[in-house]
Amino acid sequence: MRLSVAAAISHGRVFRRFGGSPRSRLNLLRNLVTALVRHERIEAPWARVDEMRGYAERLIDYAKRGDHDEKAMRMADFWLTEKDLIHKLFKVLAPRYQPHPGKYTRMLQIPNRASVDRAKMAVIELKGNPFPPLIRPQPDSEKTLLNQLLKGYREDMQRAARA
Amino acid sequence: RSSDAGPAKFKPPSKPVIVDKQRQTAERRFLSPEFIPPRGRTNPLKFSVERKDMIQRRKVLSIPEFYVGHILAVTTADPYANGKTSRFVGICIRRGGKGLGATFVLRNVIEDQGVEICFELYNPRIQEIQVLKLEKRLDDNLMYLRDALPEYSTFDVNMKPQSYLDHEEVPVNKLQVRMKPKPWSKRWERPNYNIKGIKFELPEEKMKEAQKWSKPWLEFDMLREYDTSKIEEKIWKEVNEELKK
Repeated sequence: MRLSVAAAISHGRVFRRFGGSPRSRLNLLRNLVTALVRHERIEAPWARVDEMRGYAERLIDYAKRGDHDEKAMRMADFWLTEKDLIHKLFKVLAPRYQPHPGKYTRMLQIPNRASVDRAKMAVIELKGNPFPPLIRPQPDSEKTLLNQLLKGYREDMQRAARA
Repeated sequence: RSSDAGPAKFKPPSKPVIVDKQRQTAERRFLSPEFIPPRGRTNPLKFSVERKDMIQRRKVLSIPEFYVGHILAVTTADPYANGKTSRFVGICIRRGGKGLGATFVLRNVIEDQGVEICFELYNPRIQEIQVLKLEKRLDDNLMYLRDALPEYSTFDVNMKPQSYLDHEEVPVNKLQVRMKPKPWSKRWERPNYNIKGIKFELPEEKMKEAQKWSKPWLEFDMLREYDTSKIEEKIWKEVNEELKK
């Protein structure tokens, strides 16, 4: 009787394991969060970015509490390995996101990594960053049929109004 | 010339502030933990339907506010007992389950035999739940009383209910319990149980060895936290409105 089936079932488990101990998983995500806070836009494998996104948003929620809050300071101290970023988190990022209630990051998929492993990659950026936008919204061109019909209708109305 | 600008302006004495102690009871909000839905992907309709049933039952039987560590007396309907009711007195060790299946375990030592009975809060056979003594303990889970000396789990079956005032806070009993010699049913000295209510008389090396199983990263794992304050407020308002009708 196969007794190890129970170990292989993971119904309802939301955390990915990343092939290591829970401590190493947190260290990996911690490095990614630090890089995101430093550079505000990073590329990484999709699964890691997906795990890290929740932690980054919760970290910003903690930072919004203010740096006098002891718990917020301890969290920032643990999650940001480079200590000059704690100042950036509390003084730059927290005021930037004060008006918004949530959803401070944007995650998009990228073409697979160029190396041999062809890993599924994603880019994650903090909203309001100084770089040019990732997606440029393209307005409809004037030559489409619908736009031409609307333009004709608008001109007819203006001619009727003048006459 | 130094002169005051006319007579000093008359300052009326400050109005007396009447602190109505009975009003303060409304400030202490207690929501029974089985109302709070667990974190998951279930349809909230299930929880709202269950809550309706729970409120219906609470209108019939008044379930008092109680925590782990309180001493309760529960009378249930029993067809095989003379008088058709059976009464059990014990200390609440644990409260588990959510929704209609919420349970609590009462423990007592009767004639040198430890007895634990798991009652369901919304069982229709329960006729009365009476709080005999109000006292919170340092932990949420008193399962270690099984391995503690029996004097800590014995309670008089004919104890009189202690009178308590509504507006006072529930007192916390900082009792440190002494244990029977090892082996115990669980290794209570390990940090994952996080027990503060035992007086460990183990040698220092054993305590240090138990700390090897500590997971210091767990308190920084933000996604494991479940913030229930807003949910609790909403449900508390809903439950109170329904109960007043």
